[in-house]
Amino acid sequence: MDSVIVAKGLVKKYKKFTLGPVDLEIPKGFSTALIGANGAGKTTLLDTICGIVSPSKGEVTYFGEITDIEAGETKERIGYQAAQGMYPMSWTPYDVAMANQLGFKGFHEDRYWELCKKYGVADYGEKKQSLMKMSDGNRIRLCLAAVFARDTELLVLDEPGSNLDPLMRDRLCGQFREYLEEGDGEKTILFSTHNIADMENVTDYAILMYDGAVIESGFVSDLCEKYILVSGESATFDKIKRSLMIEDRNMSTCFGFARAEEKDKLEAAGAVVESPNLQQLSIFLLRYAEQQNS
Amino acid sequence: MKILQNSEIPIYKQIAMQLKEEILSGKLTAGEYLPSIRGLAKDLKISVITTMKAYEELCAEGLVTSVQGKGFVVNPQDTAMIREQRLREVEDHLLEALEAAKTIGMTVEEVRDLITVLNHTE
Repeated sequence: MDSVIVAKGLVKKYKKFTLGPVDLEIPKGFSTALIGANGAGKTTLLDTICGIVSPSKGEVTYFGEITDIEAGETKERIGYQAAQGMYPMSWTPYDVAMANQLGFKGFHEDRYWELCKKYGVADYGEKKQSLMKMSDGNRIRLCLAAVFARDTELLVLDEPGSNLDPLMRDRLCGQFREYLEEGDGEKTILFSTHNIADMENVTDYAILMYDGAVIESGFVSDLCEKYILVSGESATFDKIKRSLMIEDRNMSTCFGFARAEEKDKLEAAGAVVESPNLQQLSIFLLRYAEQQNS
Repeated sequence: MKILQNSEIPIYKQIAMQLKEEILSGKLTAGEYLPSIRGLAKDLKISVITTMKAYEELCAEGLVTSVQGKGFVVNPQDTAMIREQRLREVEDHLLEALEAAKTIGMTVEEVRDLITVLNHTE
């Protein structure tokens, strides 16, 4: 596996929150989702990776060799989008185009207006409507149009789908796949999300965060084979309690979550097991982290 | 390719099964390349890792080979071996049918007649 980003011992200290130390790799040519509860440190991690804030400790290697994001044209190769948008509210779509034109060599203005039209957010050359007058969703759409209008090798998007309606979120997923196909293994996406289920069909690799730390990461297909969902009756659950990471007891049925190597033992005790999807896996792993923490 | 989104059969399995069928039936011939993993993911609106898993399964079965930087190429198929494999499948299913027939007291003649009828109605 080639990695587009390798972080080692990355730490970012704030007064009330510390990220890390985080070790992680982002596989080149795939789409990676950063998953975690509010306040888990997703934005801090993305901002530190993109050089928006500098790390307190540790280092990040970009594209296999570069360790200083300010060096050469590294930032030209990365498209970053903050969750709250990053343009002044008084700007119009035209101002956004001009700023990107000035800031990035690889910005294609015609592609930008085309995307603005496709996303239904602005007509060609729109100079009147400011961002202030737009809905949250439309502001995100505008930022997405700007970032996808650039020639990049890595997109880092913080909560790109959060304020979008279901149709636009679906279109965003399509845009992701198009970007990956264009790159033919050379273009990578890293994004954070709360909508795991909506983004599951564009998630190849997942990184789960809890309280400033990475608790699990890997290709989705491998992760889904690493754990199992368990169901059975109360009497069965009395016997298998120790093999479960999480258990939800009810009168009629009990549900649980365990490591896949426990499968035989659990089935022998009378429980039924199945593979989780990414959504189920994420919820259980985050609950497990919370449980370990309390 | 036909994909059922809510099927019990995982999507990667559905892809692998259909491509396998196309290779074994000769629709995809030796030396041909499968669609690129990212291109197929885009067309089917699924993640890249899902198509990759399907292709890896075909690799494991020896139906295709991964060529660095070029994609997945269809291997020459041993037709005699495929016939042998299929024959075994037919035998297995027939044995199963005979077992089921026995439990309700059907004779071999009756089973044979049933096969003839089914064959005509198809």
